[in-house]
Amino acid sequence: MISAHTLRYFALLISCSINLDMKTVVLGFLGSTLDRGFGDRRWDRWRPTIGIGQQEDLLVDRVELLHVPAHQKLARLIADDFVQVSPESEVRLHRTTLRDPWDFEEVFGLLHGFATSYPFDLENERYLVHITTGSHVAQICFFLLTESRHFPAQLLQTSPPKKGEDLGSHAIIDLDLSRYDALARRFAEEREASLSFLKAGIATRSERFNALIESLERVVLRSTEPVLLLGPTGAGKSRLARRIDALLRSRRQLAGPLVEVNCATLRGDGAMSALFGHTKGAFTGAAAAREGLLRAADGGLLFLDEVGELGLDEQAMLLRAIEDKRFLPVGSDREVESQFRLICGTNRDLRAAVRDGRFREDLLARIDLWAFELPGLAERREDIEPNLDFELEQVGAERGEALTMNREARARFLEFATVEATWPASFRDFHAAIVRMATLAPGGRIDRPTVDAEIDRLRATWSRATEVDASLKDLLGPERLAELDRFDRAQLADVVRVCRESKSLSAAGRTLFAASRKRRKSTNDADRLRKYLLRHDLDWESVRG
Amino acid sequence: MDPIDIDGRAGEGGGQILRTSLALSALTGRTLEMHHIRAGRGKPGLLRQHLTAVRAAAALCDAEVEGAELRSGALRFVPGTPKQGTHHFDIGSAGSAMLVAQTVLPILLRVGGQVRVEGGTHNQSAPPFDFVEKVFVPMLARMGADVSVRLDRAGFYPAGGGDFTIRVAPSELRPLEGAMSLTEGEVSGRAIFTRVPASVAARELAVLASELGIPSERLRPHEVRSRGPGNAVQVFLDGSVPELVTAFGKRGRPAEEVARDAVAQVRAYQAIGAPVGEYLADQLLIPLALGGGRFRTGPLSSHAETNVETIRAFLGPDALTVEPDGGTVIVSA
Repeated sequence: MISAHTLRYFALLISCSINLDMKTVVLGFLGSTLDRGFGDRRWDRWRPTIGIGQQEDLLVDRVELLHVPAHQKLARLIADDFVQVSPESEVRLHRTTLRDPWDFEEVFGLLHGFATSYPFDLENERYLVHITTGSHVAQICFFLLTESRHFPAQLLQTSPPKKGEDLGSHAIIDLDLSRYDALARRFAEEREASLSFLKAGIATRSERFNALIESLERVVLRSTEPVLLLGPTGAGKSRLARRIDALLRSRRQLAGPLVEVNCATLRGDGAMSALFGHTKGAFTGAAAAREGLLRAADGGLLFLDEVGELGLDEQAMLLRAIEDKRFLPVGSDREVESQFRLICGTNRDLRAAVRDGRFREDLLARIDLWAFELPGLAERREDIEPNLDFELEQVGAERGEALTMNREARARFLEFATVEATWPASFRDFHAAIVRMATLAPGGRIDRPTVDAEIDRLRATWSRATEVDASLKDLLGPERLAELDRFDRAQLADVVRVCRESKSLSAAGRTLFAASRKRRKSTNDADRLRKYLLRHDLDWESVRG
Repeated sequence: MDPIDIDGRAGEGGGQILRTSLALSALTGRTLEMHHIRAGRGKPGLLRQHLTAVRAAAALCDAEVEGAELRSGALRFVPGTPKQGTHHFDIGSAGSAMLVAQTVLPILLRVGGQVRVEGGTHNQSAPPFDFVEKVFVPMLARMGADVSVRLDRAGFYPAGGGDFTIRVAPSELRPLEGAMSLTEGEVSGRAIFTRVPASVAARELAVLASELGIPSERLRPHEVRSRGPGNAVQVFLDGSVPELVTAFGKRGRPAEEVARDAVAQVRAYQAIGAPVGEYLADQLLIPLALGGGRFRTGPLSSHAETNVETIRAFLGPDALTVEPDGGTVIVSA
């Protein structure tokens, strides 16, 4: 006789059986203090890494243990001891080049590099990041990189045995489950301190953008010349300026403050005195002396956004300040000195402004020695996901609450953001979308209905649907378009858009089948795309037309 | 034949129901469907040591298994035909290798074979290797079994890393006799130690000498090979039915206290006055149910009672009879 219980249990068993062969992999640092011990007495102490292998309810198939060269001997012993207490496990040692485990930038860079090069196999393996060992800085970096999903993992925390018990315990923390508030608080202060690096840690995947950032970093570290950031509204110029400030600060190349000015707000009479200061009584209403923004930036970084909006007088004074590091405050007969690094931003064509006589040619020559053009978000679709993590983090911090997004909501939003959305105002649109969702999310947790509502709102704003139809109408003609289901229209419109943005049929194929491409042994994406177009009586030339 | 439905919540619950069920499923050829495995425990479901037992039993009888996953609450074990063979199981330190031996031994008695197990051999959670060697195996020999065991390396908790081999020639069990009355025999003691100072053993033996009056020629320090430190005090009572008590040393626990723990266990055994001790009773239940006979022991622990119920589920309600007799209990089959 089989009881009802048994039947229910076996039904349960079968429903869970999908993940039966999932392997468990632990990633962690060798604990140079906590895991230490070479003599027999080491078995009397709690060693966190060994403790993982002793957990009766955790079976680890593989351990990836990072260590510094100096601890190679300890790492080998820990590997041997681990396999002894847990023969089912394999331990792989990773010798790192880490020099200072307390240097945030170095540790972050190391772990970020490890995360990007590690062959995560999410279909067959689940990952646990062990945060009990390693320097405090390493723990923070592990946490941040897991939270930002560079490590697609859960956190593993181990604890020493309670009084009267022999074995320590462990806890697995899923950062997707918004139940990690206590842990998040523990890291909150550290995160404030490291916010600048976190920005640098948005794992942007766009090659063009990454190359730009790399050369930008080289330039600002090696040269003190002004830097000009070009790009559409919302491409993240201010954010990048802040990031440069943080970078210079971490290298101790800056001591003074970061002063950000939007020149568009400085037009008119007050502009001069706001920038360069004035003396008491310099003009009517100047009841007290004013230092001015350039002087305030002494020893620090001055970011002049929308520099093309600056008046001609101010441009002249600025040029002087850049060249001589000296300028004359309004109403003063004594020059003041200010040593500052300068970054300018603009979305205008400054050469055209020079031709029109609205911008000084000599000033342009001075500030565009190092000019960098930032692509907008729509040109960096592969960067949307890392930026989502960043925005959630930022907006959450601004709102003073942990802002999370459940898996389903996240998947839906990313699908929309990377495929359908046009992001005409780039990061500004993107940021606004996150802020709206954060405001409407119940309990700081963005769910599917919140995302759906936001997508509707964005669609309405951009009225993308009409665009889709317009682009296809030209290609297919009104009759054939009318025969197409809305379902097929959306797909075809996107395919056409990708084709028009791509250099060749093969390049378009690669973009369109990017997700499944990694899983396939042989790829003939161009052929697939060609056949798809053929079904709609289209070919590469006509689409490109 | 219908599968046998076993509720893991029964009686004491725990891993013993599982181990007994696995052995009997293999021996009877009946499918085991177990649910609510270790329900109600702090960490319910199958833990690593239980999984190892499942895999070991499955290897010995070519079983098909569903639900053999960590923390699984339900298990389906479809046994094939047990075959003689050579097996090697490598077990971590947290679970005891002895519990795996306990699971497979009844199967080996039927078909014979050789099993080598690596892992913990001396561990608080199960009778140690020496108990199997000096008490359980001799009792099986009395029932006609041909079993030999060899310890190549001790594996003390927590380092583990022990290594032992069990060899069994297939045999037909005959009824257990001579386990109804206790004739006390020679008492001897030893202090096992490895990677701890020899003085610890000396202090422990001094307590055995003064408390139990064991003459010095039957007290010996016994240094063994192992990969981690370990210490245990054992007293062997070579009566009409052998008994071995073990107390484990632990960091921070004084040697004298460890020895006094062993003394207390000896006194408890002697006070009951039944030949078969608590742990031996537990282990003898399956061989008894298979080979027949009877023995006298102290009042059954809830652990043993649960074990009896599990055996009855497989072999029928009459497979074992438990009758109280004065302050003791007679178990017969």
